[in-house]
Amino acid sequence: MNRYLRPLAGPLGAILLIVVLMSLAMIVAGTSPVDGFTALFVGALGGRNQLGETLVATTALLFPALGICLAFRAGLFNIGAEGQLLIGALCAGALGAVLTVPGPLGILFMLVAGAIGGGAWGAIAGWMKARFGANEIIATLMLNFVASAFALELVSGPLKGPLAAGAETAWLDPKYWLPALLPGTRLSIALLFAVALALLLQWVFARTVFGYDLRASGEAPEAARRSGINLGRLTWLALTLSGAIAGVGGATIVSGELHRFNTQLSPGYGFTAIAVALVGDLQPLWICLAAFGFGILESGGLAMQASAQVPKDAIHVIEGLIIFVLAARRYVATRVEGTLP
Amino acid sequence: MDAVLTLRDIRKAFPGVVAVDGVDLDLYPGEIHALVGENGAGKSTLSAIAFGELKPDEGSVTAHGTVGLVHQHFELIGRLRVWQNVLLGREPHRGWRIDEASARARVVAIAERNGLEIDPNAFVETLPIGVQQRVELLRELDRDPAVLLLDEPTAALAPAEIESFFATVVQLAARGTAIMIVTHKLQEVIAYATRVTVMRHGKVVERTLTSATSIPAIARAMVGGEVPAVAAREHADLTPCLHVKDLCAGSGATQLNDFFLDVRGGEIVGIAGVEGNGQSTLADALAGLIDYTGIIERRGTMGVIPQDRQREALVMDWSLVENTLLGRQHRKAACRGFQLDRVRARAETESIRERFDVRAANLDVAVRTLSGGNQQKLVVGRALIDTPEFVLAYNPTRGVDVGAAALVQSRLMEARNRGAAVLLISFELDEILTLADHVIVMYRGAVLGSFGRDAFDRAEIGRLMAGSA
Amino acid sequence: MNELIVTLVALTLVKATPIIYAALGGVISERSGVINIGLEGMMAAGAFTAVVASFATHNPVLGLVGGLCAGAAFGYLLAFAATRFKVDQIVAGTGINLICAGGAAYGLVLLFNQPGASVQVASLGDKYWVLVVLAFVLAALLQWLLYRTPWGLRIRASGENPSAVVSAGLDPLRLRTYAVIVSGALAGLGGAFLSIGELNLYSDGMTAGRGFIALAAVIFGRWHPLGATVACVVFGFFEALQYVLQGQIAWLPANAMQALPYIAALVALAGVTGRVRAPAADGVPF
Repeated sequence: MNRYLRPLAGPLGAILLIVVLMSLAMIVAGTSPVDGFTALFVGALGGRNQLGETLVATTALLFPALGICLAFRAGLFNIGAEGQLLIGALCAGALGAVLTVPGPLGILFMLVAGAIGGGAWGAIAGWMKARFGANEIIATLMLNFVASAFALELVSGPLKGPLAAGAETAWLDPKYWLPALLPGTRLSIALLFAVALALLLQWVFARTVFGYDLRASGEAPEAARRSGINLGRLTWLALTLSGAIAGVGGATIVSGELHRFNTQLSPGYGFTAIAVALVGDLQPLWICLAAFGFGILESGGLAMQASAQVPKDAIHVIEGLIIFVLAARRYVATRVEGTLP
Repeated sequence: MDAVLTLRDIRKAFPGVVAVDGVDLDLYPGEIHALVGENGAGKSTLSAIAFGELKPDEGSVTAHGTVGLVHQHFELIGRLRVWQNVLLGREPHRGWRIDEASARARVVAIAERNGLEIDPNAFVETLPIGVQQRVELLRELDRDPAVLLLDEPTAALAPAEIESFFATVVQLAARGTAIMIVTHKLQEVIAYATRVTVMRHGKVVERTLTSATSIPAIARAMVGGEVPAVAAREHADLTPCLHVKDLCAGSGATQLNDFFLDVRGGEIVGIAGVEGNGQSTLADALAGLIDYTGIIERRGTMGVIPQDRQREALVMDWSLVENTLLGRQHRKAACRGFQLDRVRARAETESIRERFDVRAANLDVAVRTLSGGNQQKLVVGRALIDTPEFVLAYNPTRGVDVGAAALVQSRLMEARNRGAAVLLISFELDEILTLADHVIVMYRGAVLGSFGRDAFDRAEIGRLMAGSA
Repeated sequence: MNELIVTLVALTLVKATPIIYAALGGVISERSGVINIGLEGMMAAGAFTAVVASFATHNPVLGLVGGLCAGAAFGYLLAFAATRFKVDQIVAGTGINLICAGGAAYGLVLLFNQPGASVQVASLGDKYWVLVVLAFVLAALLQWLLYRTPWGLRIRASGENPSAVVSAGLDPLRLRTYAVIVSGALAGLGGAFLSIGELNLYSDGMTAGRGFIALAAVIFGRWHPLGATVACVVFGFFEALQYVLQGQIAWLPANAMQALPYIAALVALAGVTGRVRAPAADGVPF
């Protein structure tokens, strides 16, 4: 295959597969794929509001996906982005509710609080892995449940907004809202932050010593250790940064979209982000595109459910199937290209 | 007498290379047939085909009776017992339950019949390598093979163990088993085999009775010409470089006990020993990878050639350029600010490629696509590129062809000639005797003997390697 | 007080049961060399299918069979991917988790026309204790199978060194396939216990990470069926404790208490890893 086309094969194959599987899900639900896709795309891209919502979902997926990407590159399977995002959002929401500084500074503080919260949550798993060798997959997943119980406890009690009906913090002062990117929609400039972060990560992986160490540890841990890399340090650093990125994402949801913390703020972004990161082939720039694609599914899925009676959850089945198929891709690729056994 | 194993016109190709190209082979009961050739000549592929592990693209394999294979890297399960390893897949049972008593008895019986001593209840991982090989052999013997293929069976054995191993093999042959030995130790071919087949580039280039040939003749047939020479040893001034004293590290069988060693600039010190006697612990302690007590004093910079190039030295999916930086990425010179200096790395890789004759399509292909010899040349080149004052070379020519081995050995000799201190840890006694100015025999983590170049005594070194003082 | 202890013990056993099934599945799968990250999803598949089967047949026993088969089917999917396509088992297992959780949610809408939870179906009712006892019996049986029978020896061998199994003339991929199918079946049964044993419906997210707690139990139990079972009882205890204490002590933070079993699993994971050795070829494609 042409070397310029080959990197495209994965994402294009994934898109094709999504289309086929979605069609199947629509047929099973008794809707023709034409109607289903029309509903999906009109719902996702059919107007200013729809596009805004799609990009809101894109942003919400992009942060945790980039965090997951960083951990995966270091060979660490972080499936705790959901919890890291939640804790990041909680810290940002809790801080934002009591802040009394000028607007931009307050937003900055909230983002930093999100990074610290998410980072700390990732660091727990990182520390467990580095110190005890505890399996990070199980640890990060367990921490998701701890995070949601912890957040629920806090916003049901001490952090509950004085006027809040449900489990949520007080609303933010509008000066702490991230400026809108697309006026009239909920889309904030957080999208630009996320894309900038993707560019930064692309550079870090490709050009810097830290990125080199990270990739070496992921691809060949024993060779990496012998090259002078402190694997334990790198492990907790990678999981901390990974959690911090997801945590910033949580903070941007609070500051840019909901303007308060709510335990229901993520409909599983942290899990969908795993699919986003894998479909994006763990390349930050491809991940931006993948996040947009999944953003379409997220926001269009609701419309599809309403107008074409295809349950939105079909999308999660498809995410799973995509991940599953991508897992086999590497083997198939080596078989096709042919290397010595 | 009829052949028990017949291979006719065997051909097997892998993408990009024809591994076996039209080979015939007959094995007769009672013969010990040696199969020799360079790495990549097709020996392993041919024996895998003979064993039935691999299907040939063309040609036929006819076997009368079962074919057994003793692997070079033992296919054993360390955490299971000897009898479990030997009888896996053929467990005697009563109902659904394994009959452990008769299993043990059966293992002891086969062992005794073949003059081997074994504790059927021992966990394999606790056994020394020589005994592990017995387990591997017993597993094949339990199936009463008509043909037994032995792949580099003596690679990890001490000279004394090799003798007793061949005593068993000769006995087996005398009882009518056809035996094929894949090896690169030509002395063993001459001493124990009846016939020898030499392969080169997938073809048989010579087949003769061992009584009608000699070691140099076989070597020439293998290489297809004269064996390349190693660079000459020149006079070099000796300067203190590495001083090791009272070194204790590691645990278990590979524990170092009060190890001592001095390597001076301008000399090659060889560590002779059978695999698993603490060489890895020593290398790791010197490379600063494990904790130790005692003294390790080193002057100047260090270049390391690790033992396992694929696991310890290279990132297989990375390019040559990226691999050239590995282990050197934290030096100031490798970076410009936060960024790695890619221009410099490329220039360095290019110079390694030239000086070490690394054959690759270009500098950006993954090292996985390189042959083992070329991968090793890259690793050696990387270790030497910064002209280190101390070089730690651990089996630097393992699994590479004669040409690549001679090149690697020459570069090590040149490093010594320019004044570097070289510590050569090798399981190949011949390599050590060729290169070293000084030999230290290592046994169970301790120094058992020490020889200057003018006092090399192959037999005595061999005895010490087996632990007899 | 005595009554409280009896309640606690009984609830501990009930809460441990689904995790035991999943953990036994985890043990057999990992002993054969396949890490089954998809246990969580296979439990969800079992739980949902059991409800559907019970709904269709009005027979909870057939519901259990349905749950078992659904788990086994996803086990086969993982085994097929792991043996035939040499996939990264972790990624594939994660995919299965998403497929099963999403699939059950999709199915709820399609079949029951209501998101979130199914209608109530015929459940085992007060006969659920049979499954509790069966869990412990299966643990003992699996222990015996793994350590005393040829089949167990071969499974363990293919998790340690599949090449050696080939040398012995056996097919490790087939052994792994069988093991992972059994693994899925056990997880499916555990899920079925959740939906039609303890309760009489399926609701979204009802497996609540039990598949992962089971994986922690496998490690804590050193890959022994009985060890893993003990670990499950410990985790079950913390889950039960949370319920029992909630009614008893008013000032306890009720929501935070829900984290108790997960924290217990985390502590166990950190405490025991490093002192235990996984099967040598665990998770390594062959």
